[in-house]
Amino acid sequence: MENEAHIDFAVIGHQDNWPSVQSIINGMRSGENEPLTVAQIKGTFSYIPPRSIFKMTAKSKTGKTVNGVYIETFIDPDELTPHFLRKNINKVNEAISVALKHKSKIIALGGFTSIVLEGNLSQFDTSSSKITTGNTLTSAYILKGVTDAILKLNKRLQDCNVLIIGATGDIGSACTHYLSSKVKGLLLNARNGRKLEAFAQQFTDTSAEIKWNTRLEELIPMADIIICVASSASIEIKDYKKQVVICDAGYPKNLDTKIEEGNGTFVFHGGMGTVNYGYDFKPDYREHFYNYPRPHIAHGCILEAVVLAFEGKYENFSSGKGNIKTESIDKIHELSVKHGVELAPFYNSKGLCEISLPKSSKG
Amino acid sequence: MGMEKLSYDLKSEEALSVLTDVFSQAITGELIGMSNFASMAGAIDDPHEKMEAVEHADSERQHAEGFMAHAEKLGLKVKVNLEGEYWGRVRNIFLSYAAKKDFIACLAIQEVMLEAFAVSMYTDVGKALDNEAGKMFLSIAEEEKEHMEHSTEFLRDELHKDKDKFLKKFEQLHNDCMTILAEFSLTSDCTDSCGVCHGNCMKSSLPIVGLDVGSMRGNALSLYARALDHIGIPGEQSIKWIANLPV
Repeated sequence: MENEAHIDFAVIGHQDNWPSVQSIINGMRSGENEPLTVAQIKGTFSYIPPRSIFKMTAKSKTGKTVNGVYIETFIDPDELTPHFLRKNINKVNEAISVALKHKSKIIALGGFTSIVLEGNLSQFDTSSSKITTGNTLTSAYILKGVTDAILKLNKRLQDCNVLIIGATGDIGSACTHYLSSKVKGLLLNARNGRKLEAFAQQFTDTSAEIKWNTRLEELIPMADIIICVASSASIEIKDYKKQVVICDAGYPKNLDTKIEEGNGTFVFHGGMGTVNYGYDFKPDYREHFYNYPRPHIAHGCILEAVVLAFEGKYENFSSGKGNIKTESIDKIHELSVKHGVELAPFYNSKGLCEISLPKSSKG
Repeated sequence: MGMEKLSYDLKSEEALSVLTDVFSQAITGELIGMSNFASMAGAIDDPHEKMEAVEHADSERQHAEGFMAHAEKLGLKVKVNLEGEYWGRVRNIFLSYAAKKDFIACLAIQEVMLEAFAVSMYTDVGKALDNEAGKMFLSIAEEEKEHMEHSTEFLRDELHKDKDKFLKKFEQLHNDCMTILAEFSLTSDCTDSCGVCHGNCMKSSLPIVGLDVGSMRGNALSLYARALDHIGIPGEQSIKWIANLPV
């Protein structure tokens, strides 16, 4: 029977906005029932306890197939703020219990839900199910994305100043460590000045020149590459260099809506990968659930669990905060490529995008 | 013992009017439950389960009596109507399955769907009314929980026997009964009288006693969803059923 098929991985997720919720809920309604408005859905959505809403199957380049389940937390998109932290953590904990009931061998905490793993894991019995934030593969795709983009612009990473917005977070910290010996300068930004300074002090002996500031506008004009991994809808990118590469891997991904592209300025959604040999959903909600410009794209955090399942490597691969090692980034990326799970094509909210060299650089 | 002092600070005419309707709905619901369990006793062949159904019917009767006595103490003129718009439809649906001696359907309707709404809504009322009446609602909610737990094991066994058949049947029961409960608990006032409230629909007046129909409905659906989880109904199935309820 369907429910008794073994589950290799579980993905715990949430919706970022009400139109996404509306699309999914209306996708579940049968044809004879009228589609619901956002206002109608808002009254009930967040009362629903976390539950599996579809099963997944992903295929590896090696021919291996793994089975997964998507567990929706039903977190209210308007409540993805620190004010509702306790309530949201309870929902994530409940979602983990659902994943454990499915006997998932590995559980990925997607998006905001990874906050639980930045705290205490000991409350969960992880003897048979492992839990990962998936932040290591997300970091790998961010770094691979900016590296590829720079190469296409005929630039060298070692000549670039990289601004990391949200540098003290788990992914920001991983990217900072990774780039500290590979770039000309690191420009670090975070909201908490005390934490930022303590973090930046770790890099004063590295080859990259380090600058840090809580005021973003002080750093932006110096940046050749901007990696945004902060959770904030209100980040403003102004006075940037004309040929800046911006990797928007934060939440929500809205920077391309605020920036004029062209003439070398390039904004893409980072941290995303593609399963080259495909994945599918059952029930098939792709029409309502899937918002990417090419098939089989997914967040790096989800794909980390898929890759670990392909590999049969069931471990708490990414957990805690600030624990991601450069070697782990390289390792998970290598495994990812081995299974045909690779960096997603460049895209942003307007669709697929290509880097165009500024006129002066064209031969 | 002398008559106990009630600590209502809800003595306004509007508050008493809302409380009258709250008690009227609770008493009517308990009497529907009592009647359903009595009908269920006739639909069961197993003598132990037959006795248990009678026992549950008596428990619902006691709940109804308790609510009635408390309402009287408060001077509320409650209205009981088992044939009102929603309660009547629920009862008829139940009877249609009892007539077929469909024990599993009877369990699902009474002990999962109706009890989920009763337990959740009594808990909300109990917490809002921080007084003797509130305590009574909370204590009855606790007892109703036992009815929910009683059914879970039976339904789980039935699911394991033939999952596809069980899910198809449960979906039909959900459509038959939960559609009525979802219409009953819509956040907008009832357009036609439900036949139980004594005047206009009480929904928009609930905040007078610290209640809110939106969260009461949400909590009830939440408990129903959890009850389905306990039975073992897959989440992807139950969310589809819930997403198709009237809003």
